[in-house]
Amino acid sequence: MSNRNLEELLQSAGGPVKLLRNSQIGPYVYPVVPPEFTSWRDEQMAWQHTCVLFNQSFHMTDMYIQGSDSLKLLSNLGVNSFKNFAVDKAKQYVACSHEGYVIGDAILFYLDKDLFNLVGRPSVHNWVQYHCETGEYNATVERDERAAARQGPLMRKAYRYQVQGPNAPGVIQKLIGKPVPDIKFFNMDAFTIAGRKVRALRHGMVGQPGWELFGPWTERDDVRNAIVEAGKEFGLRQVGSRAYSSNTLESGWIPSPMPAIYDGDKMKPYRQWLSANVYEATASLGGSFYSDNIRDYYSTPYDLGYGPIVKFDHDFIGRAALEKMAANPKRRKVTLVWNPDDATNAIGSIFQDGPHAKYIDFPSAVYSTLPYDKVTKGGKTIGVSTWSGYSFNERAMLSLAMIDAEYSEPRTDVTLVWGEEGGGSTRPTVERHKQSDIRVTVAPVPYSEIARTAYRTK
Amino acid sequence: VSYKNLEEAIRAAGNPVKMLRNSQLGPYVYPVVPSEFSNWRDEQRAWRETCVLFNQSYHMADMFIEGPDTIKLFSATGINSFGTFAVNKAKQFIGCNYDGYVIGDAILFYLSKDSFVLVGRPSIHNWVQYHAEKGGYKVTISRDERSVARDVPIVRRLYRYQVQGPNAPQVLNKLNGGPVPDIKFFNMGEIKIAGRKVRALRHGMAGVPGLELWGPHEEREEIRAAIVEAGQEFGLRQVGSRAYATNTLESGWIPSPMPAVYSGEKMKPFREWLSGNGYEATAALGGSFYSDNIEDYYLTPWDLGYGPFVKFDHDFTGREALEKIAKNPKRRKVTLAWNGEDVTKIFRSMFEHGQDPYRVLDLPLTNYASLSYDKVLTGGKTVGFSTFSSYSYNERSMLSLGILDNEVAEVGTQVSLIWGEEGGGSLKPTVERHRQIEIRAIVGPVPYSREARESYAEGWRTGKK
Repeated sequence: MSNRNLEELLQSAGGPVKLLRNSQIGPYVYPVVPPEFTSWRDEQMAWQHTCVLFNQSFHMTDMYIQGSDSLKLLSNLGVNSFKNFAVDKAKQYVACSHEGYVIGDAILFYLDKDLFNLVGRPSVHNWVQYHCETGEYNATVERDERAAARQGPLMRKAYRYQVQGPNAPGVIQKLIGKPVPDIKFFNMDAFTIAGRKVRALRHGMVGQPGWELFGPWTERDDVRNAIVEAGKEFGLRQVGSRAYSSNTLESGWIPSPMPAIYDGDKMKPYRQWLSANVYEATASLGGSFYSDNIRDYYSTPYDLGYGPIVKFDHDFIGRAALEKMAANPKRRKVTLVWNPDDATNAIGSIFQDGPHAKYIDFPSAVYSTLPYDKVTKGGKTIGVSTWSGYSFNERAMLSLAMIDAEYSEPRTDVTLVWGEEGGGSTRPTVERHKQSDIRVTVAPVPYSEIARTAYRTK
Repeated sequence: VSYKNLEEAIRAAGNPVKMLRNSQLGPYVYPVVPSEFSNWRDEQRAWRETCVLFNQSYHMADMFIEGPDTIKLFSATGINSFGTFAVNKAKQFIGCNYDGYVIGDAILFYLSKDSFVLVGRPSIHNWVQYHAEKGGYKVTISRDERSVARDVPIVRRLYRYQVQGPNAPQVLNKLNGGPVPDIKFFNMGEIKIAGRKVRALRHGMAGVPGLELWGPHEEREEIRAAIVEAGQEFGLRQVGSRAYATNTLESGWIPSPMPAVYSGEKMKPFREWLSGNGYEATAALGGSFYSDNIEDYYLTPWDLGYGPFVKFDHDFTGREALEKIAKNPKRRKVTLAWNGEDVTKIFRSMFEHGQDPYRVLDLPLTNYASLSYDKVLTGGKTVGFSTFSSYSYNERSMLSLGILDNEVAEVGTQVSLIWGEEGGGSLKPTVERHRQIEIRAIVGPVPYSREARESYAEGWRTGKK
């Protein structure tokens, strides 16, 4: 274990697929937050019917980017347009490799003149930091790692909460003591809550109005207590770590693209810059989709549903490749709805002797950092399924998938292969099991009725 | 609303059953320890096939009792014999009310002359402390409460670990740098770990040797790291909070008797002494067994399998009543193996629209209350309770610990249990609207062995009709 960087680690592991598929990292955790406050069913119902408090203070990496060249740095790496980007706005920031495959995505907050915060899984942070440090930019980065990547007492710079759901406006109005200001989606405002200054991003994670609230770490309890107290009359539920990650099944964001950095000479200096214990080195790859070629796991912005945010109004890494792809994107993001009988048979197999299906945990059935399950039609692989889990709101097992455009029409019947080959890999989250074919039906993204009609009508 | 004491809380609710059934406590948590280290299936498998580390440092209350009258105090409140109790021994300590019903049980460690610690759910701690204070005993008591809160620093006086499973002896020998002393069951000794002296209680699950280890809380990380490191070559797995509590389904201890404190004039001073927001006032009662009479939930030591511990060699609260019960105990503790096809129907109902699902089975630990009481039937007649329930990956079956009338407690008997609550469910935060379902089950022994369901029973597993 004396590898000095990711490139060396890949050499000694025999390639990226082998490395990631046998990662010993264990469960991808949503740390610190209790598993359940009431029950995961009740908590899921609340985000569709009343309102919820998501505590996002622990599972994401924050990276502050500061300096007169920060916008230039971000613009050189991001597929997004930066034309109208200004203080108090935010973006779903997406960065790609030279060949146009996604390295990662995160929320980018324009906090102040020459000051940004990037929040999410760290693959895009690493890429931005690399360019900041090795390029000619008048910018600096400061990282505040997610809880899973740190040791010792848990101190972060900022708390991060979301208040979401149909009753969220009522709760916010009560907290700030005045009507809720009409700010646009992904724009920011400042509130006073419990006497504390709180910054607020207008957000709507599950197709309902909502706000993401953040402020100094030391004020986290005051603000949280105030939200919980104010939320009582509105049926607010705190969401535990088990329900939390399942909300994206209803809203349709894929949290887990394979970072497109593992191959190619052009990326080699970056892999040599990355240390041997970063996210990209320890992430676990799981599921029924197998290829020895890591490139088969890469996604384009179009696969992930980010097509509309790719803007060729600036120069950025991957532009030339994306300009070619833009004309004819091959895959589309869809929701897959599992056949109830097949889902039941898979779950029910653990109540019988003999080999059983890969256990389906509720509500999140994800068992790796990067879930990749095979989607087939007539025996032919037509795409990959990523995030899977159960929605009590929809009374269904759902998966977010990227499949060939010709099969992406709603109500198309396809098959999802659940479980790994050969009894399963050696990863700690995988017990011995057999694979099972699950019939699934293609549905739109986002899946939830409300999300389908109201989400992002800017 | 907060009440001065338990008696007031009960009076405000009108009935203790009503109070407990609609408790707003939320999930009964096994705090601090991560949900899963690897995955709960393999963590369960490890205690049967290799070995495990249980981290018990957070979910139990410790009460330290010291002074010249300690034994006198325990002897007056415990049903156990204290005849040969001595330093470096431990006991499953059980306290009963005046009518012989169990208030609670916990492990009592005889640490040194006149010095003890009582470890477990706090109902028994409260009872002992009450007598210590009211009875003029020369003892001092200090409590170290279990941790329920999460994101505040949690400091306890002791860490508490168990190393269990067939490979536990090898791990412990390796840690100790030589064979661990030959300590008898429920006796204590000392071993060395990472250069520290660690006290050890000989404990075991389902006949497999193991040790419970404790020491100062500040040494917890170095001791744990040493155990994990030494255990690597023996397949040791750390057990997360989701699997932890399920191990009792295979070993057979019932963690959750209803404390027999809610009724009776004689117990009233105790209820007035108890806090209005303590364990007894906030505990959640769940399941399909309904009675407005709280006493129908009370259990005798025999119901819980503690008959052999009841010793009439000393005077203690409840003795007279227990002498009568001893002649003819009516019920027995059993393990119930749930019918797999019936269980699968519960999952199928989660995919149906237009009606509420059956009460969801959250695996592996399916309890949704502090005190689980489900109704067990034969021929439509209630013949007992099913209490703690969980899925066992080792048995590939849902199991629950039942307390059944002797006539139906024979191994191999087919019974059924009702899963879920009446009328769509109670107001507990852990309970969403649901329907009840009848689940067939086969009576097995305690501790469980699959032998029972495979060779004795007719039906779904054996194919016997």
